[in-house]
Amino acid sequence: MMTGNHHAIEIRELHHVYAGPGGGDSIAALRGIDLTLPAGQFVALVGANGSGKTTLARHINGLLLPTHGQVQVNGWDTRDRTAWPHIRAQVALVFQRPEDQIVATTVADDVAFGPENVGLPSEEIERRVRQALETVHMWSCRHRLPHLLSVGQQQRVAIAGALALHPTYLLLDEATAMLDPAGRQEVEALLQRLHAQGMTIVSITHRMEAVVPADRVIALAAGRVAFNGTPRCFFADADRLAELRLAPPPAVALAIHLRRYFPDLPTDILTVEEIATALARMWPGEPTDFSSPSSSLLCKTIAGDCPPAVTVEGIQYTYMSNTPLATTALMDAQMEIHTGEVVALLGPTGAGKTTLLQQIAGLASPQMGRITLFGRDLEELRADHHTLRQWVGMLFQRPEEQLFETYVGDDVAFGPRQLGLDRDAVRERVRWAMEMVGLPFADYKDRFTQSLSGGEQRKAALAGVLALRPRLLLLDEPTAGLDPQTRRDILVVLERLNQDAGQTIMIATHNMEDAAELAHRVYVIAEGEVIMGGPTRRVFCQQDSLVSLGLESPAATVIAQALRKRGLPVPMDVLTLDELEAVLQVSMKRRGDAL
Amino acid sequence: MSRRKRTPEWEFLRYVTLGQYLPTGSFIHRMHPAFKLLVFGLLVAAVTFSQTITVNLILLVTMVVLVRLARVPVRHALEGVRLALPALLVMAVFQVLLPPKMVTMAGSDGACLSLWAWQRFVVTDCSLRLVVVSVARLIELIVLTTLLTSSTTTTELAYGTEALLSPCRRLGLPAHQLAMVVTIALRFVPTLALQMERIVKAQTARGADFGLDGRWRFIRMIRRLLPLLVPLFLVSLRRSETLVVAMAARGYTGNARRSHRIRQRVRPADYLALGIAGAFCVLMFVLDFKA
Repeated sequence: MMTGNHHAIEIRELHHVYAGPGGGDSIAALRGIDLTLPAGQFVALVGANGSGKTTLARHINGLLLPTHGQVQVNGWDTRDRTAWPHIRAQVALVFQRPEDQIVATTVADDVAFGPENVGLPSEEIERRVRQALETVHMWSCRHRLPHLLSVGQQQRVAIAGALALHPTYLLLDEATAMLDPAGRQEVEALLQRLHAQGMTIVSITHRMEAVVPADRVIALAAGRVAFNGTPRCFFADADRLAELRLAPPPAVALAIHLRRYFPDLPTDILTVEEIATALARMWPGEPTDFSSPSSSLLCKTIAGDCPPAVTVEGIQYTYMSNTPLATTALMDAQMEIHTGEVVALLGPTGAGKTTLLQQIAGLASPQMGRITLFGRDLEELRADHHTLRQWVGMLFQRPEEQLFETYVGDDVAFGPRQLGLDRDAVRERVRWAMEMVGLPFADYKDRFTQSLSGGEQRKAALAGVLALRPRLLLLDEPTAGLDPQTRRDILVVLERLNQDAGQTIMIATHNMEDAAELAHRVYVIAEGEVIMGGPTRRVFCQQDSLVSLGLESPAATVIAQALRKRGLPVPMDVLTLDELEAVLQVSMKRRGDAL
Repeated sequence: MSRRKRTPEWEFLRYVTLGQYLPTGSFIHRMHPAFKLLVFGLLVAAVTFSQTITVNLILLVTMVVLVRLARVPVRHALEGVRLALPALLVMAVFQVLLPPKMVTMAGSDGACLSLWAWQRFVVTDCSLRLVVVSVARLIELIVLTTLLTSSTTTTELAYGTEALLSPCRRLGLPAHQLAMVVTIALRFVPTLALQMERIVKAQTARGADFGLDGRWRFIRMIRRLLPLLVPLFLVSLRRSETLVVAMAARGYTGNARRSHRIRQRVRPADYLALGIAGAFCVLMFVLDFKA
């Protein structure tokens, strides 16, 4: 039965209660949502973890049914079973992890899955598969195997699978969280293009920069709508953002801080361009003409005469060598990491970062080249398992999926026990590691591993590696897919380890902010080769080269360069917002004194 | 690097030749899946019932020709054989030394030549021939299977199976559901291999020793297995849960009223291939029978 608005999603008094495990406490995920989403808008759905975003998205295409209230899609009620095929074809849903939503074993077969379910004739399916794959620029990969594609490519296949249903509404549940900057920009550009063609887009995201171009922001808090309006209005209220446990995008954050010195700064600044223009207009006196690179400030440097922890010479590695599926991951990689340094490995997905870390951890031996660890040849060290494990510890991507003991304490103790330490020593190490990552030993050691939240599991996994007390700590995407608060916690742990204990750290990441905050030096890898390397500041200044590699500079660096273009005296190698604020404050004072 | 390696290399995906589709676009790739399965069945029958060395020689040559026709690298097709080689050798030794009763019985009639005897072990030319034939048959079967999976996507396999089983639907056989189960199981094989590889590496990085040497290695391996299986199991469960939701979100309802992208018309070439395979199969039977 069709009633109501035929061109909108209408949600009335929606409540959803999840039954607790084993008939235990039930959890109210949604507590009375009233929303109308007219067709044609680009809506950003935001909120802290557990605020009900995913639950709401699943209600919109009828995967969940209201405990109380009503959801209508173009007039079809989601409770009406016979309407499900219509609703699912109207509202397509894309999930966070592409590998979880791919059904078939080739790209084209997977895209065809939706249209096949609707029962379209095969010529029409073929036409739609082609159209959808061309839209996401994956037509040339149609025969490839999805599990051998990069995550960014896989996510584009997943979106193509959604598009092939010709939906009116495209719902994305943190669909860019696992992607590198290039992959993310591709997907975001694709969404803009689809929106321009008239598709309604509802995007759940933690990334506030992605909210800025939206037509509308809907913020959820504890299962209720806490805000529903334009992004400009949303970000203008700093207190509300704090209350919702959301961080403003960098330009907005800087504006909030600078308002202390420039009380007249408009309250509704959203973009980098806007803040640069506003500051240039308000800058006391004429802007200086100023193009020569200024000296760097607050430079974190490490004494050059520290002994090397790792040297990598001409490493080469090919996966599945001697099979038709052979792919070369590393070609002639060179680098040197000093003791006490934090070095970031940057590069697009598939560049070889993970492979390189695994080589250094001695988990695979290179087909050519040599790695030296603390002065010893790695091949030689591999025969000495115990020493190797105490020298190098590695945290894998999504390490929370690799926890296997029932209790947190036991899982953290796995490493030390393998080393053959006695009970007390193991206990001491576990205590230290757990306290270090912010999981108090007494409270957490007897908790069930699987009952921890995702963020806590990540911390427990980190503790498991720290408990080995490795001289060299390797981390593969330690902050990927985390909410802002947990990400911050992890960064603080790593910074403390390095500053207090002189821990040598190598971190592979596609989050430039992580590198900007932590790393003394940066290596950029692309297609298996090291193509840039040097102090973090120097590398991040080279914005154009980074962009051409599918990377980006940290937000503060981008803002600083926009300010310089308008003649403000800002050094070009600013890395963090705090630094930028300090610089602006200092130069304003200097200018005030001079006047 | 000729140095002896203590820590083994982990590349589980390398060993998963099942479901490794190689898109070369050959004639064999483009065959109608149902017909391809029928031809496959005929060839399997020809291999299984082959008795003589001559027939097996012809079959081996045929396999190589088919692999070339499919434009699949011969090395890739033989990879499965290489992995099965130790098992094949063990089997061969046992069959030579302890041939089935009927072969030794034939020996006592004087039809077989005793070549070597020691206590109760007797090697006759009959038992040798039997070993050569059975090893050849297994190799042919492995190559044939690799050929099928590398020239047919799992979706096509499922579609072919469904098409062949559809007459049985009247008997209450859930042909569609069976086909979907097979597709998804095959789709997860490489995923699980990759996942397993990651878990083994992560645990090695935390001090677990998977090096496969030293005394008690068998016991050690068993003890290592549990920490591997728990995360693998949890991840698979979580994955299948999300997959179910993702499939439902894309309109899958579990009934057979789906359509297929690959409802390609049956072409004359498909009938031709089936005919040739049938004739070939009969020819092999005749050759066997005569010998």
